[in-house]
Amino acid sequence: MADNDIKKAEGTQLSRRQFITGVGGVGVGALLGGVLTQGFLAPDKVFAVPASQGYLLVDTKKCAGCTTCMMVCSLTHHGQVSYALSRIQITQDSFRSFPDDLSMNQCRQCPYPACADACPTGANHVDAANGNVRTIDAAKCIGCERCINACPFTPSRVEWNGVEKTAQKCDLCADTPFWNTDGGPGGKQACVEACPMKALSFTSSVPVQSEKGYDVDLGHTSTAWSDFGFTGVRGKGR
Amino acid sequence: MANGYAGKILKVDLTTKTIGEISTSKYEEWGGGHGIGSAIFWDLCEDKTIDGTDPKNVITIMGSPLSGTFTPGGGARTEVQGIGLQSSPRGWFTRSNFGGRFSTQLKYAGWDGIVLLGRSDKQVWLNIVDGKVTLEDASALWGLDTWSAQKKIRASVLGADPTGDWESMSGSRDGGRSTQRPAVLTCGPNAEKFGPMASLVHDGGHGAGQGGFGGVFASKNLKAVSVLGTGGVQVADPNALMDARLWLRDYAIGGHMDNPYPNSGGKWPLASLPGYSSALPEGVSSRPAGCAACIRNCPVRSETGSGNDSMCVDFAWYMAHDRIAHKGKTSSATAHGADRAQQLGINVYPLMVLMPWLDKLVQGGVLGKGKEIDSSLPFEAWGSAEFIDALLGSIVNQTDIGKDLCLGLWQCAKKWGRLEQDLASGILALQEWGYPDHYDARIEAEWGYGSLMGDRDINEHAFNWICYWNPMLWITAGVEPTVSAERMAEIVAKKMVPLTDEPKLIDYSDEGIYSAAMAKTVAWHRHYTRYYTQSIAYCDWLFADFVNPYGPDFEGVTPEAEPKFLAAVTGKSQSFEEGMEVGRRIWNLDRAIWVLQGRTRDIEVFADYVYDVPAAPGPFVVPVFENGAWSYKSVVGRKLDRAKVEDWKTKFYSVEGWDTKTGAPTRTTLEKLGLKNVADALEETGKLGSE
Repeated sequence: MADNDIKKAEGTQLSRRQFITGVGGVGVGALLGGVLTQGFLAPDKVFAVPASQGYLLVDTKKCAGCTTCMMVCSLTHHGQVSYALSRIQITQDSFRSFPDDLSMNQCRQCPYPACADACPTGANHVDAANGNVRTIDAAKCIGCERCINACPFTPSRVEWNGVEKTAQKCDLCADTPFWNTDGGPGGKQACVEACPMKALSFTSSVPVQSEKGYDVDLGHTSTAWSDFGFTGVRGKGR
Repeated sequence: MANGYAGKILKVDLTTKTIGEISTSKYEEWGGGHGIGSAIFWDLCEDKTIDGTDPKNVITIMGSPLSGTFTPGGGARTEVQGIGLQSSPRGWFTRSNFGGRFSTQLKYAGWDGIVLLGRSDKQVWLNIVDGKVTLEDASALWGLDTWSAQKKIRASVLGADPTGDWESMSGSRDGGRSTQRPAVLTCGPNAEKFGPMASLVHDGGHGAGQGGFGGVFASKNLKAVSVLGTGGVQVADPNALMDARLWLRDYAIGGHMDNPYPNSGGKWPLASLPGYSSALPEGVSSRPAGCAACIRNCPVRSETGSGNDSMCVDFAWYMAHDRIAHKGKTSSATAHGADRAQQLGINVYPLMVLMPWLDKLVQGGVLGKGKEIDSSLPFEAWGSAEFIDALLGSIVNQTDIGKDLCLGLWQCAKKWGRLEQDLASGILALQEWGYPDHYDARIEAEWGYGSLMGDRDINEHAFNWICYWNPMLWITAGVEPTVSAERMAEIVAKKMVPLTDEPKLIDYSDEGIYSAAMAKTVAWHRHYTRYYTQSIAYCDWLFADFVNPYGPDFEGVTPEAEPKFLAAVTGKSQSFEEGMEVGRRIWNLDRAIWVLQGRTRDIEVFADYVYDVPAAPGPFVVPVFENGAWSYKSVVGRKLDRAKVEDWKTKFYSVEGWDTKTGAPTRTTLEKLGLKNVADALEETGKLGSE
């Protein structure tokens, strides 16, 4: 259940991610600070977009599976608490061993956003007004779900909102009509603020693209986490 | 409706196999959880004197308006009620409660709770996916342990092993989708055979352990309930709920992750450390694995998979024995004991008391191969995994002494002809109603009294952390108490609204435990837990939060927090005091049910050992007010005085407005609570309390 279940690129023996990164290698095209990325060659077009100025980092070994992040995400965006409306998904299985019992599935704000590239109307787009966050303009969404299928990760980080009849995705809280706090890459993220284990954090630097999917050590400056006896967590002083 | 409620309660008649609904608004005045459960039980169970296995027993499984929201400790509690199988001399109308994610999924499926009536002629499990509710064949699941049954049910609901991707649950584009597994509540293998000991288990180990509800499920030919919801819950004021959540963060570990209050400083509700890694062998890594929306996250998941979703007594029932056998170290046997109890659906509380009893019987030459109580259990392997498997296996298979243990410990001791003597000596610590001693009535009076005046071991910790654990930890460690007894008493007295003019509410001295103040404390605790803990469903391990090391001068968030979150979710402005009054109403309704079941003052007595045997070995340190001053004092060796307990009962009945001769509520008390119909019902049976 780790966050590296990726779909095969159609018609190839390669995984979609291998196909994409194979063009320039891991990390290529992911530049710091909003500079245009190197264009990725796809069969008929070049899709060149600036890198996001914000990313969610997760520490999957600290996560306690409480799903508070899912709950606050849905409430701040939609005014109701619903796992189905959450743009971050925590999946877990009580009958598996740590650390494989749980997966944190957040949108990676990909340097090459396959979801935005797949959108025929520009609904799924890079929002220059909000730090280049990859987001969806519901007014332009025609419900074709190409973006949902284009996401290389499982579960898809783009989801279908059957209530409002639009695709939706993590926008780093750029548009949270039910929260009185400024979000987006320049502001706060509800999931980061609410996580009781501090297993989520925000960065403006493009994380290294790896199998681990922005899984980092958020052990903090104290040795408290290992003092609690959770010796499986890497980190300072452990 | 934007008030936290789904608006409907699922009603399933297992006899006729009909699925119906009850409108939640009919019962909303009771809050949720327990209040609604008791009110529905009152209405739908005509004859309250029936046995728990009677098909007419009504089982309620209730969430609250907070279920599915991110109220810390409130997002996922589920209250189970009905006539139970565990207590003696009769099965009282009782309760249990569990966490995890069941009521979360239930709310998202569009239901506030479930009512189960009747008995199915075939073995079934209840399948809820949003509004689609069906009874499925459980014959292939009946003999399965709880983990295997859950895995099979998941595969049934999702169609084989889930891939972790979005699954459409309706087949239509705009029908619900989910990445989540169904939440399942199940009894153990052939649970009808060990009913009084049988629990209900959800996921790895969230358990409605006490009461024998696993046996009640099995008596209805019901194996399990599974629920998956793709909807959501609307709340009245989203911003207020976010603000409240982020406010509370600073009273818990999440607000102080770089500089947490050390474990050695004491045990606290909100402020304690997450997880239960201490129950695992050294070097085994783990994560805390909490209930939905929790801010603390108590259970654990380990790298061996053993101990998953377990905590506290799930481990503690075997831990001391494991350590004795392994030179003071915790081996894998402790987590194995948790796993087996969870998988087999056996209530760990009786096991906690069973182990020392068996030990005494073996040491006394009474139990063993060829002895008076003949047993071939491998007592020589005491403390190992082998013994766990043999003991628990004997209970679920009714072999060896298991054929008697499966009746429940009280009935087992009676069958062995040892009930009276072992309750007199205390080697069988069934403190009240045949329930195991959880905290000692001789020491922690509010716990013992609350249990005696009710239906079971209360398992409610508001006073326990601060009056039992912390003084003991501080004095035993020889450290200066973080909070002095005087300051503790001051904080508690300030927070126990509406009793704010009573300074000696936590006086556990030899005089204090029989006082009118202690009667008020016990009454306050009954009302608080009936409403805030069991009806609105704030987790008992987070609330009441009287004393908090992150609070100003150690003051916790009760009574501010409880109404704050409730208002944000429901939009209803209800003061703490008003909530306490609803709790009193619920408590009185429960009391009336017990009176109809045969409860009278004269049977409300502890086991003999509580009066005759000094509490030992301790340590037992409690706050006391003696010689005009507060202090923490050891009360090792204390026993309760029969006459003084009787006198205390009179005080308690007076505080509650009950007949001091019989313990039954009076008409005046019931009518003031809007329970005239309850008074009428008691009067019809000649059991109404006299004024």
